[in-house]
Amino acid sequence: MSSQANILARLRQNRPQGPALPDIDAVPFITFDDKFDAFRTLVRNLGGDAVQLADGDSVLSVVQQRWPQHGRLVDLTVAGHEESPSPHAWHDVDVAIVPGELAVAESAAVWVSHADNQWRSIYFLTQKLVLVVPRDAIVDTMRDAYRRIAIREQGFGGFISGSSRTADIEQSLVMGAHGAMAALVIFV
Amino acid sequence: MKNDNIHHAEAAAAFLQDREQARWHDSAIWWVRQKRDMQAKQLPEWEQLRALAQQIKAHTLSRLDDYLLQFQANAEKNGVTVHWAADADEHNRIVQGILAAEGVKKLVKSKSMLTEECGLNPYLEQHGIEVIDTDLGERIVQLRQEPPSHIVMPAIHLKKEQISELFHRELGTEAGNNDPTYLTHAARANLREHFLTADAGLTGVNFAIAETGGVVVCTNEGNADLGTALPPIHIASMGLEKIIPRLEHLGVFTRLLARSAIGSPITTYTSHFHRARPGGQMHIVIVDNGRSDILGNDDFYQSLRCIRCGACMNTCPVYRRSTGHSYSYIIPGPIGSTLGPSRDIKKHGSMAFACTTCGSCSNVCPVKINLHEQLVLQRKRAFDAGTLKPAKKMGLLAMRFLTQHPSLMDSGGKVMRKVVPIVPESLTRHSAWSRPGRALPEMPEQSFKEMWQARQKDKKA
Ligand code: SF4
Repeated sequence: MSSQANILARLRQNRPQGPALPDIDAVPFITFDDKFDAFRTLVRNLGGDAVQLADGDSVLSVVQQRWPQHGRLVDLTVAGHEESPSPHAWHDVDVAIVPGELAVAESAAVWVSHADNQWRSIYFLTQKLVLVVPRDAIVDTMRDAYRRIAIREQGFGGFISGSSRTADIEQSLVMGAHGAMAALVIFV
Repeated sequence: MKNDNIHHAEAAAAFLQDREQARWHDSAIWWVRQKRDMQAKQLPEWEQLRALAQQIKAHTLSRLDDYLLQFQANAEKNGVTVHWAADADEHNRIVQGILAAEGVKKLVKSKSMLTEECGLNPYLEQHGIEVIDTDLGERIVQLRQEPPSHIVMPAIHLKKEQISELFHRELGTEAGNNDPTYLTHAARANLREHFLTADAGLTGVNFAIAETGGVVVCTNEGNADLGTALPPIHIASMGLEKIIPRLEHLGVFTRLLARSAIGSPITTYTSHFHRARPGGQMHIVIVDNGRSDILGNDDFYQSLRCIRCGACMNTCPVYRRSTGHSYSYIIPGPIGSTLGPSRDIKKHGSMAFACTTCGSCSNVCPVKINLHEQLVLQRKRAFDAGTLKPAKKMGLLAMRFLTQHPSLMDSGGKVMRKVVPIVPESLTRHSAWSRPGRALPEMPEQSFKEMWQARQKDKKA
């Protein structure tokens, strides 16, 4: 017998009793009066920041103001944006501006899954990550978020919350472990 | 891999020699437990959330074979290759086979306790493949050639001075620069080079979704993402208990995992992998390695609900005061102390006694595993299997005799309360009560039984 058949046979034979699947919507989860405010307070503790774009302002000008001396900038939110011949060729990106589909107030997480983006490496190679999220696409909890996301054709999607971090050396929190050193979420 | 024959009490005694280090270890980990509490208190639904997680996992275990088949069918629809491994050896052979077929020279790995359990690194190295652990803590212990001491914080047993020295030797950082930011960024630069030059990436799996055939990996560092976005081959190794039925269930588990693990609302990255990147390959290896046997054991199958958050070790008074290296099984703390003995009671019997039965682990566990009850049952197995050291065994036998003879217990206690206060120090010098940090307790006037009876009388009066 193959290992698969063996394993499955043993699992079938050893099945314990178990309950039915619970209705996860039966329990009320936390809600926030001001979701943006909850998001911003949290993301500031996680190596990031969040702003609401003012009328007449542009994403690019917010980015320029924040990092006037920035290096290579790639903007995936514009149509016909630049493409890279390989995932490795994004390695010197300093600022990446990417579309975020949905934001979650309880965790300061943003869902990224951009059908128009061939190499997801840019989310993680860039030094500074700018996530652009529609103002009304913000939900209370992860449960609400999973109701609204879809696993797309390109097969990758992820929540990103703040900047890359580690506390592996004596529990001292350091921003910029492997991924972005800074994260900015702009609600438009 | 861990050395054979680690005996918990002896190894812990050695660790406690360095009092300052031991105190730091205890308080650093206790702080993580407190951060967990702060997160839990912010959610009015916390306890209901734990109950939901418990029910989802308990349900899944009751039809694990069905869900695994569904998972496999959906993963294959997405173009992913699914492999099944009965044991550690088969897992290692499968991974090596995938890598050899593509001529892989360098593999970047993100955190995976399963590959530690399987001893993957030494196996691949023997076959000429360079393995780079990329989680900072894992990289540190890999360079030191030692196992992780915690499942979430692999290098929590080390001081920054030790890491600075290690990095100076291995990565050429400035001698004597102990700044965690400086050291972390030095490792970042070094590991970036490895990410950019690796031929394949291997990750663990936090959750495998039957409904969609995809896997979810949670990290704070982003190493799993770089390791799978750059090289063309992604291998995900998972224990077969990682399955959850539906995507929506992540709305429960992602709320619990990081809050329980590190006291954060979520990990920085929660990545969902369903297909290979363009032009690449994605493989999933489903590993049994003893799990299906545990499933058949009425006393211990609940341990398969574990989501590896580490909360039980952070709260454990014994773990905090003994480090993960004092446990013989690769997973330490309460959950390791049931999984290890379930696997091999002869080898891991001492772990069942690394427990005060305080029950704190069961109270923090996000999937409500009855950890402390399982440890008591493992003790019995350790005793029956004859794995106890003679002194421990004699003590337990004497205790059993006394508890079975209540009048002897009463009179023995009476004598002890009179005699102990006047025992000369020379007699206790070589007993457990002379060890550092211990003192003979004050002897009360009355036994518990006497106090209880008096109280009951008062109540009635
Ligand atoms: S047993 Fe529970 S508390 Fe311990 S690691 Fe597993 S899920 Fe976390």
